[in-house]
Amino acid sequence: MTQSPTLSRRSSSAPVLRKSKQRGADARAGYTFLLPWLLGFIALTVGPMISSLYLSFTNYNLFDPPKWIGLDNYTTLFQDERFLQSVGVTVGYVVFGTPLKLAAALAVAMLLNSKRKGQGFYRSAFYAPSLIGASVSIAIVWKAMFGDAGPVDQGLSFFGINLGGWVGNPSMTMPMFILLTVWQFGAPMVIFLAGLKQIPADLYEAASMDGAGPVRKFFNITWPMLSPVIFFNLLMETIHAFQIFASAYIISNGEGGPAGSTLFYTLYLYLRGFSDFRMGYASAMAWLLVIVVGIITLIFFRTSKSWVHYSGDAK
Amino acid sequence: MISRRNFLTTVALGTASAAALAACGSPAPAQTGSAENPVTINYTWWGNDDRAKRTRQAIDLFESKNPDIKVNGNFTDFAGYWQKRATEAAGGGLPDVMQWDLSYLRDYGQRNQLLDLGTVKINTDAFEKSLLPSGQIRGKTYGIPTSTNAFAVYYDPAKLASLGIAEPDGTWTYEEYNAFLAEVGAKGNGALFGGTDYTSIWWMFNIWLRQNNIEAFTEDGKLGFTKDDLKKWWNVTADLRGTPALVSEERVTQLAPKSPFGSNVTATEATWDNFMAAYLGDSGAKELKLVPVPSDDKDNLGLFLKPSMLMVASAKTKYKDAAARFIDFMVNDPEVGQIFKTSRGVPASKTQRDGTTFEGTDKLVVEYEKSIEKYLKDAPEPPIVGFGTLEASFKRIAADLNYGKLTVDSAADAWFKEAEDLIKQNA
Repeated sequence: MTQSPTLSRRSSSAPVLRKSKQRGADARAGYTFLLPWLLGFIALTVGPMISSLYLSFTNYNLFDPPKWIGLDNYTTLFQDERFLQSVGVTVGYVVFGTPLKLAAALAVAMLLNSKRKGQGFYRSAFYAPSLIGASVSIAIVWKAMFGDAGPVDQGLSFFGINLGGWVGNPSMTMPMFILLTVWQFGAPMVIFLAGLKQIPADLYEAASMDGAGPVRKFFNITWPMLSPVIFFNLLMETIHAFQIFASAYIISNGEGGPAGSTLFYTLYLYLRGFSDFRMGYASAMAWLLVIVVGIITLIFFRTSKSWVHYSGDAK
Repeated sequence: MISRRNFLTTVALGTASAAALAACGSPAPAQTGSAENPVTINYTWWGNDDRAKRTRQAIDLFESKNPDIKVNGNFTDFAGYWQKRATEAAGGGLPDVMQWDLSYLRDYGQRNQLLDLGTVKINTDAFEKSLLPSGQIRGKTYGIPTSTNAFAVYYDPAKLASLGIAEPDGTWTYEEYNAFLAEVGAKGNGALFGGTDYTSIWWMFNIWLRQNNIEAFTEDGKLGFTKDDLKKWWNVTADLRGTPALVSEERVTQLAPKSPFGSNVTATEATWDNFMAAYLGDSGAKELKLVPVPSDDKDNLGLFLKPSMLMVASAKTKYKDAAARFIDFMVNDPEVGQIFKTSRGVPASKTQRDGTTFEGTDKLVVEYEKSIEKYLKDAPEPPIVGFGTLEASFKRIAADLNYGKLTVDSAADAWFKEAEDLIKQNA
């Protein structure tokens, strides 16, 4: 913290000793005000993380004291077929779901960026699903919609497409979950909208004068000008997608079925910890997820240099 | 005004004393209550709305007879129930009294999470002596059965009549049962399937093992059967999978949490006999009937009475006496029997059974258990530690088998791998 000019002028007349005393007192007050947050951070975040790191090297069944087994949990993970299945399911979801969601968010944000009647209404209407998105009720509604003889099944059969219910069909559950996440594009959409507002209108005007069409304008103006926002959204949504849990838990009755097709990483982690009483194993899975998400974030940052342009950058 | 130094000291003192308070909790509460100052015990159970309604009724009755105790009730569905208990046990905060399942008795009992009910006053004079051991582990009583159930094959007589198929009399081999399922499937014409794949139910497998005089688990907590036994079992319905004799796994998943039978999609289903009330409610059928499970040995049906539910108390409960009185009331009081009828199973205690009038479908359940009396063998002891997980993976792997994701051989391999891993973990 830097001292304000008035404060330093006043204290400059006092002896040096007094000045340092004053600074110490300020620091104490600062730490006192930080204390509630700091206590919470240490007790509720750092503490559990350290103990989970410790547990990941043990065999811990929630009842008996943990037994140290070294790296066993980490090595057995890679021989566990269900673990590998859960990785496959999650990666598929992230790779297909995230870009589609961002594309939907950007497309709608661009539509809503132009001035129109009832713009406020449309913005709220498109944002609403992501507000209620994480809730249990949406997962239940989704399950009913895509279930046997649900509205989706009936709607499709009206067009002569007979897929039956999606919920029980192992090859249709992933499209269902991707649709669910794409539908909840509200949060990145609002951020895109804010980013679009920052792009100076005269750039587009100049481009029009030069005869550029909408596609040209998008790739030469919108995309590069928006790239920091795209980068931010891509990063946040990817991390977010890795953590999908509630909807998978509800739609599959907490089992990851049918035939393991919705066994998302966090769901399997949860089942290992709380159904199979293997908390050490679950902790190892949690730490592996932290490491992998960390690596992916790092890769994003590294590659971002080639496509993300900040306003101050020299081209 | 508080000076800065004082302020800091106050904050420090306040934080310290708050922490100290939290550590000791409130001053030790009285072990017993009075009508003016009752103690409150927590009770939790799994079930549906119907059971919730009946349980509230029973709790009200208990509170009116025991004004010094208040019961705080709470329920969830079966799947979420055990995950919740695991979290509570890890935090040392299990509810005082709980409805319990045989599958999880050893996990918690052997790990000192449950109260030894032999140390408190619960009257078990009116119980069958052969039933009580199923609540005991190494000589200690951790659970008291509320009621008994037995395995049966349900069928809907009206549906069979509409297809022109004769009602089964319950003396059938597996081959005959399969032929029956195939006939229903063929005549049901896509609208009605024969049944659900009964080989995906652990307890049917267990019964089949008993019919062949094989123990499911050894005394030292290992598997008593071989991989070949399991392969043989899953091959029993191999020819029926994918035909109209059995409802597809896809439909089963879609219909969950209701069963295909309850949803009027199949004509028969093998399950516990206390599902009668739930099935009638779900399906809207006028009448459902019960017959014994198939067996290739007509003198050995492998059947047994299992405690359909147990009552247990937390080892850490502060109110042992109140908890014991509530358990005693729930398992023995004749009026409680009147409230639940056979929805928990047939009451285990004779006083409760005698105090209850069974009519209509409840009578069918009681009569079914009487009809199989001569075939009944001792109830199995509480299964091994981690049995809940084994049972769940049995169901899951059998479902994969029905989806055609696994062959019988690879399914048996997969289950054995998980079972051996689990037994090693808990050794």
